[in-house]
Amino acid sequence: MNKDLSSFAARLREVIPNWQSAIGNRQFSELALELFALQFKYNSAYRRICEGRGVSPGVIEDWTQIPAVPAAAFKELELSCLSPGERIAVFHSSGTTEQKPSRHFHNGESLSVYETSLWQWFEPNFLANSKFKIQNSKLVVLTPPPAQAPHSSLVHMFETIRSRACESADRSFFGTVATDGSWVLNFEAMLAVLNSSLVTRHPSLLLGTAFSFVHLLDFLGEHDLRLQLPPGSRVMETGGYKNRSRTMPKEELHALITERLGVPWENIICEYGMSELSSQAYDSVAGDEWRVTGKGAVSRLTPRVMRHFRFPPWARVQIVSPETGREVEDGETGLVRVFDLANVYSVMAVQTDDLGVHRGDGFELIGRTQFIEPRGCSLMSV
Amino acid sequence: MNLPDYFLADLPPEATLSPAMLAEACQTLKRNRARYLAGRSTEQLMSVLSDVAAGWLKPENTFRKLALELGPAETPFSRETLQHGLDDFFRQITRDNLHALLVQELGDVRRLDTLTATEMDRKSLRAAMAVGPEFLVHIAAGDIPNSTWMSMVLGLLARSAQLVKCASGSSLLPRLFAHSLYEADSKLSACLEIAGWRGGDIDMEDVLFAEADCVTATGSDETLAAIRSRLPIKTRFVGYGHRVSFGFVAREVLSPLRAPQIATRATDDVVAWNQLGCLSPHVIYVQTGGEVSPERFAELLADELERREQTEPRGGLPVPHTAAIASRRGIYEVRAAHSPETRMWHSKESTAWTVVFEADPRFQVSCLNRFIYVKPVKDLAELLQHAEVVRGKISTVGTAAGEHQTEELGLQLARWGVTRVCPLGRMQNPPLTWRHDGRPALGDLVTWADLEFQSSSSSSSSSFS
Repeated sequence: MNKDLSSFAARLREVIPNWQSAIGNRQFSELALELFALQFKYNSAYRRICEGRGVSPGVIEDWTQIPAVPAAAFKELELSCLSPGERIAVFHSSGTTEQKPSRHFHNGESLSVYETSLWQWFEPNFLANSKFKIQNSKLVVLTPPPAQAPHSSLVHMFETIRSRACESADRSFFGTVATDGSWVLNFEAMLAVLNSSLVTRHPSLLLGTAFSFVHLLDFLGEHDLRLQLPPGSRVMETGGYKNRSRTMPKEELHALITERLGVPWENIICEYGMSELSSQAYDSVAGDEWRVTGKGAVSRLTPRVMRHFRFPPWARVQIVSPETGREVEDGETGLVRVFDLANVYSVMAVQTDDLGVHRGDGFELIGRTQFIEPRGCSLMSV
Repeated sequence: MNLPDYFLADLPPEATLSPAMLAEACQTLKRNRARYLAGRSTEQLMSVLSDVAAGWLKPENTFRKLALELGPAETPFSRETLQHGLDDFFRQITRDNLHALLVQELGDVRRLDTLTATEMDRKSLRAAMAVGPEFLVHIAAGDIPNSTWMSMVLGLLARSAQLVKCASGSSLLPRLFAHSLYEADSKLSACLEIAGWRGGDIDMEDVLFAEADCVTATGSDETLAAIRSRLPIKTRFVGYGHRVSFGFVAREVLSPLRAPQIATRATDDVVAWNQLGCLSPHVIYVQTGGEVSPERFAELLADELERREQTEPRGGLPVPHTAAIASRRGIYEVRAAHSPETRMWHSKESTAWTVVFEADPRFQVSCLNRFIYVKPVKDLAELLQHAEVVRGKISTVGTAAGEHQTEELGLQLARWGVTRVCPLGRMQNPPLTWRHDGRPALGDLVTWADLEFQSSSSSSSSSFS
């Protein structure tokens, strides 16, 4: 057991729940520099990358100077402070066709930090502005249960939420892993639960990936079903499609969720997360109507104007110029770089391949960078 | 400076094109062809084309000036890259080269004018003429204009009414060429239309495909398959699909004196049209065992790319393209930090150029825009083994080798399936007589009419001399 990292993790778990008073800019910077020094010391794969850039704990003064590693490096290197014997879990990047997934290793302590981090930002974003307690709501998770997907950080997150909501596991997860490895939904069981909530009037809380919602909506469409879930029902959707369903623009997906499930636009929120991180960003606070409407009516055509992703105070995002590596101005597009204190035992600074527009204290997600094909002369996949 | 609205693609973006408008344009093109083009002689057409091309080479030429002024904003190329690219192209369009092309593909320069007989034809008592399609449609793709310009040239020689469908937002250079034809001979250009809309507009394409006698298309395999499946059986289809290219430097030429010159030539190929063409190299394979090592060659290439950036800058690119470069660099930086088998050199504070040396000899597709791999190989046999994944999809191999080796290399590559082998430095600049992806570009457009004589009246054939 690494005492330095262990003590950092313990402190972080105390600080995070008190973030409103305990994590300002100064505290974030101090914690980040401290964690960088520890990771430089204990994560040899990361140290070599830093040395390649001529950066070490002594020479930087600000968290923005901490070297970020490409998320793709998690596929090639063991970017971990944990020795093989200490690892009790590993999260892989999603995508059914990936031959070499990212690997983010965890021990009990780092899982505990992950769980603290995810809950402490999920709660104020997803459960805010509600007169219902989560315990009085019905949790409906559109992924397989943890036993079937032990390497999914997303499923681990949903399992954490489920246990905090005191739901029973077998009545919350409505996905299953098919023989070809894809995630499929048990529509009948889910429908039975949703229908019963129409009777009990307990709001439903639906959590899932965008593609699983497309599967659900397609099913409802095929059977010409429209549910009007009880007031207070909410939806959290996350992630790309990765060829697992037809793709659908976000506005269209949300409009269909409203149409088929009766969940209003302001109660549908998007999550941005990845297996290489331990904190997530949300694009709005559920039920936060002023964000949507101002004083007027909801405008479905311009929702993006108002919504953007924000990480919790213990994770900071920068949108950086691919040309210079420096942060772009507000309103400009660049690559999303995340500094996540909750990544205690791996690497705090992660450079993603995602493109985003810098919007104030957050960002608007544009999508994943492709290895661009020249039009008309397209390339084989790499 | 605005161009007059001679072509549909000249209309402002807010003017949307309807299927009805397109159908009408097709009819007009066919009418104009019958009146102004069908009766022209090859001689006349070669004159117009070579004059127009000579015009483009002059600094004061209006269309050249417009291309260089508007190009940097409307295309992904800097002024200098455009200048280089259009010089290379229009230099090829001479009377002599057009003549050579017609003879190569049709056997005789007057084949499209009348029945003619080559010596071989006369011996077998026959004559023939080639007839171009009445209405030729080009589905253009990509930002590099060469292929579209060349299609327009071939279509004119074939006396076809032509419609060039550009990808939305990339019609500038084809339009400028069309305007230069208009200036030289407005009746000729009345048989030509340039239009742009988003690919996959079924209603528009249905109109076009119903009218066309022949469709040429450049694009991904999926795009080509989609187009082909929708063409009537009578319509000829000429598709140019997926192609990649690479370079090969043999150890014999890797002396300290020659290696920098070869790196300069390799740089020409990487810089030309910012490496975006099918003919641009993704990888330069360098043979081991020479005086200059593959790794050192990569360094020389990096030096030259840096120098070239000063005189012929790559220019700005949209963020998704620079992000692709930055993301790839990130991966190679990580690998380089962990293994001497990977090294990387790149422009500072920009994504202008990148050289990645990788000991792993497997063929690697580049993200382009001046991002080049250098890989060591023992010999050509090893190279071909590692390029097996792209076998059949190779357009061009640029070589630098000893004189006595070149032919042998060419033979091996041809047998393996490469359709063009050229000296390094000329990859993106094929001659006018280049057989596009191994196919006769003009020959594929025409239909032949043969006339056979009776053996007793051998004198009849003498008129076809």
